Amino acid sequence: MSGDPSGTGSGPGGPPDDGDLSARLKRLETQLEGRRPKAAPAPARAGTPGGSAQLGQAMRLSTEFIAGVIAGGILGYLFDHLFGTKPWGMIVLLMLGFITGIYNVMRVSGFSGQKAEKDRREGS
Amino acid sequence: MAVSVDPIHQFELQPLVSLGHIGNQQIAFTQSALYMFAAVGVIALLTIVATSGRSVVPGRLQALAETLYEFIADTVHQATGADGKRFLPLVFSLFMFVLVLNLFGMIPYAFAVTSHLIVTFGLALIVILTVVIYGVAKHGTHFLGVFVPSGVPKPLLLIMVPIEIVSFLSRPISLSVRLFANVLAGHIALKIFAFFVVQLLVAGAWGVLSPLPLALTVALTALEFLVAALQAYVFATLTAVYLADALHPGH
Repeated sequence: MSGDPSGTGSGPGGPPDDGDLSARLKRLETQLEGRRPKAAPAPARAGTPGGSAQLGQAMRLSTEFIAGVIAGGILGYLFDHLFGTKPWGMIVLLMLGFITGIYNVMRVSGFSGQKAEKDRREGS
Repeated sequence: MAVSVDPIHQFELQPLVSLGHIGNQQIAFTQSALYMFAAVGVIALLTIVATSGRSVVPGRLQALAETLYEFIADTVHQATGADGKRFLPLVFSLFMFVLVLNLFGMIPYAFAVTSHLIVTFGLALIVILTVVIYGVAKHGTHFLGVFVPSGVPKPLLLIMVPIEIVSFLSRPISLSVRLFANVLAGHIALKIFAFFVVQLLVAGAWGVLSPLPLALTVALTALEFLVAALQAYVFATLTAVYLADALHPGH
């Protein structure tokens, strides 16, 4: 095909054609890699997927908070059950769960943890 | 007037084949299990049979299967990077399972499997156990870096580490409760609004108002289809995000 001008110089068919093929494969690979949406999701993630990604995030907000409180409550109950410290484990861990719920919401909404999540993405 | 419809009745499990008893608990093949098998059948049909032709120009079903696959592959790639590929089968299976079960639930008179907390919690446990087991096997104690946020001053770690631990433990809860609550609430709302139509029609002159809840029911149905797809997507995305923790702990 397009390998004609260089292929005639070095010899019959085989080796130059082979080199040409691998060069083209490599070029194709770099082109494909360039097109793949990889490590730049930060602006793309907010914009292009549009409704669905943002709706999904909105759906996350409420349950993230509730889940934090529930997790704290379960942990507090188990702690009291195991160590017999009747009200105190529940009180402390429920408050910790409450804080965790707020922290979760802040992280999802990009209020504080945006940096952490972006770091992870860039690191990967 | 004596019509009273229980909006919860649709979620009752009905044993189809009894497999015996353990203690006082009946072990039965319920309609829930039947729906799950049906969902697996549909997914297998879509992904194996429809793509068996392997045509370069895909037909309708093959195009659908390829679109779904590409969609999830992109999501996983964005969340976890190149080495997250090994988890693609897990994420794709979970996505398809949840999606098909959600859509099954939208068929009139069908049973919504994902409206049961134990089912969604089981799925969430699969995800979290994968994260923990893979993370510990790959990184050993270094996996505990998940609990240490980066760029936080030392004294603050005393507060942040317990918060991160509770946050980690809340993940399976939020993952399962979100899916279950959305499906359950949606189906109950649909049932109640649809029942309003009947009630108004029975109540004589009030029947003039019956188109209002009917319109709302139609709108809610559309919303429920959106929620069904969206919740499957959110489940898959979060699975990928959590798996990224197993691959790269200590962000």
